[in-house]
Amino acid sequence: MDLHGSTVEFRNVKRTFGTVKALDDFSLTIKPGELVTLLGPSGCGKTTALRILAGIDKEHEGIVEIDGKDMSQVPANKRNIGMVFQAYSLFPNMTAIENVAYGLRVRGVDSHKRESRARELLDLVGLSTQADRRPTQLSGGQQQRVALARALAIEPSVLLLDEPLSALDAQVRAQLREEIRRIQSTIGISTLFVTHDQEEAMAISDRVGVMNKGVLEQIDEPGKLYNKPRTPFVAGFVGLTNYIPAVTESKSLVLVLSQSLEISDHSPAVKKGDEVRALIRPEEFEVQKADEGATVITKSFLGPVTRLGIDVGTPDLIYAEITSKEAKKIDTGDFVRLSISSDAVMIEHV
Amino acid sequence: MKRKFTAFDKVIIAFAAFFFIAPLIAAAEYSARGYGDKGHTFANYSWIVHQLGFSPALLTSLRIAAITILIVLVLMVPTVVYVHLGGRRYRRLVEILCLLPIVIPVVSLAIGAQVAMPKSLQSTSYELCFFYVVVAMPYVYRTLDIGLQSVALSTLVEASQSLGADWFKTLTMVIIPAIRSSTTGALFITFALSLGEYTLAVLLHFHTFPTWATNVSQQNIYGSIAISVTTLGGAWIFLIVIAFIPRIKSLFAQRKRVA
Ligand SMILES: Nc1ncnc2c1ncn2[C@@H]1O[C@H](COP(=O)(O)OP(=O)(O)O)[C@@H](O)[C@H]1O
Ligand SMILES: [Mg+2]
Repeated sequence: MDLHGSTVEFRNVKRTFGTVKALDDFSLTIKPGELVTLLGPSGCGKTTALRILAGIDKEHEGIVEIDGKDMSQVPANKRNIGMVFQAYSLFPNMTAIENVAYGLRVRGVDSHKRESRARELLDLVGLSTQADRRPTQLSGGQQQRVALARALAIEPSVLLLDEPLSALDAQVRAQLREEIRRIQSTIGISTLFVTHDQEEAMAISDRVGVMNKGVLEQIDEPGKLYNKPRTPFVAGFVGLTNYIPAVTESKSLVLVLSQSLEISDHSPAVKKGDEVRALIRPEEFEVQKADEGATVITKSFLGPVTRLGIDVGTPDLIYAEITSKEAKKIDTGDFVRLSISSDAVMIEHV
Repeated sequence: MKRKFTAFDKVIIAFAAFFFIAPLIAAAEYSARGYGDKGHTFANYSWIVHQLGFSPALLTSLRIAAITILIVLVLMVPTVVYVHLGGRRYRRLVEILCLLPIVIPVVSLAIGAQVAMPKSLQSTSYELCFFYVVVAMPYVYRTLDIGLQSVALSTLVEASQSLGADWFKTLTMVIIPAIRSSTTGALFITFALSLGEYTLAVLLHFHTFPTWATNVSQQNIYGSIAISVTTLGGAWIFLIVIAFIPRIKSLFAQRKRVA
């Protein structure tokens, strides 16, 4: 199967429920064949965005286009969009293969064609031997594979996945997400994936959009999102971040842990003497053994790196990650000296 | 998923089964007795069919039952689905309306609704269908409501629509089969009710199977019991057939696939 990827565009989409702004001036373009993930905490409007694109929710302002065509007059069942839900979406009265063939049956495809096509798809998701099972006879991971095959069977122009892995155990989750990515890039279908799990988002996406309270705060490639967050929310949500009390020395300098550092571009405007928080990633620290100073309280081995929890006298421990080789020299209870190795830091108001 | 019954469950089930089955067996035995102690016989059963008016009465009742079932399906299934999906606001209202017939005596229903019925229907026995729909409503509503609560309805509907199905296909191919046991239950209740209802039929002077049965039983006490047993047995066979149709169908489908 080879689909041409479609272009999807949200333009200034707004959706409110009473006083809640579920989506606020939401604009996003998905390029042909691209996998874009919407990442954000529960309630930030991810599902709302999907439902609007799918045509299930039509009470919105703004424009949704697929391949340049305005979708406002196109009902959900005519949009040709494949959807995979969190769980319990398989039709309970049908077997796996009947579920996969359903979209073709609805379109009046004859039974031979739809059976061979459904088998092809079950094969693609690795379930050819389970074709005649009912949903209740399949594991959670298998059910989601069937749901994926069912969504792809109609050769949709766009694939939407709403937290498809969040109901599964960690091991199945990691495996299935790789497989979703493999299948998606093989057939080249434009995909919008939704999750609240940042690791998942970073692992499978071409680009990740971080959402907060209905607003798309930043959309970028995973690496860029991590290294160049444009808002404090993004910096805090993507990856582990320390929030360290600090005081500004001028409009562009901040004093963090007795170190004078430049304030990064995307930080809010400040004046001299403001009390702020500096956002510093665990790997931005250098840790040296010392005779006095901060104390190492916790030490956790994470494979190539080791994470130290260090008491510097601030309310929270500071987490620093150093190579496990370096960490051999340091134990809990030891005194250390902490220094920040980055040139510029992001700050936010307290 | 197989559930294990505890000893206590088994005692309860056995007790309930005895309570239910014992009178049936007793009735069946009684209905097979002959006058003058001639041992057991089927005479009372053949007596039934030879009574004047048997088949017209039965056919009338079956016709009424069929139409009632049709109206119930068309009216109730979409309504209950609707209040489960978009129309949550109306859920309480619909629930109260549907349960109302329980507290309204059939006598007042008969007289009140008779007046509201269109003239063209008033003289035919099909009028009864509409009364039976109302009488069946509380049971049908409850049964469908429970069935719909047990499935992830909105997800199933959204999945079906995104795959290209319109409302009719979603309803007939996904929702009704997904709550098949509830739908079957609702149908069976409606069927049993339409076939066995006596008060309304008498009040409105219609000749249905129950009114006929009451008339003829006065001549033969054994025969009247035979009628009860037949009615009950017939209803059970109907239920079993309905419950097994999907299984029989899938058996055929599998045969075909193997062949
Ligand atoms: N049908 C609804 N009625 C009222 N509020 C809703 C409805 N659907 C979503 N919301 C609200 O809109 C916001 C965004 O919801 P949603 O898109 O489901 O978030 P997410 O999928 O990111 O968890 C939430 O605050 C939620 O409470
Ligand atoms: Mg959601």
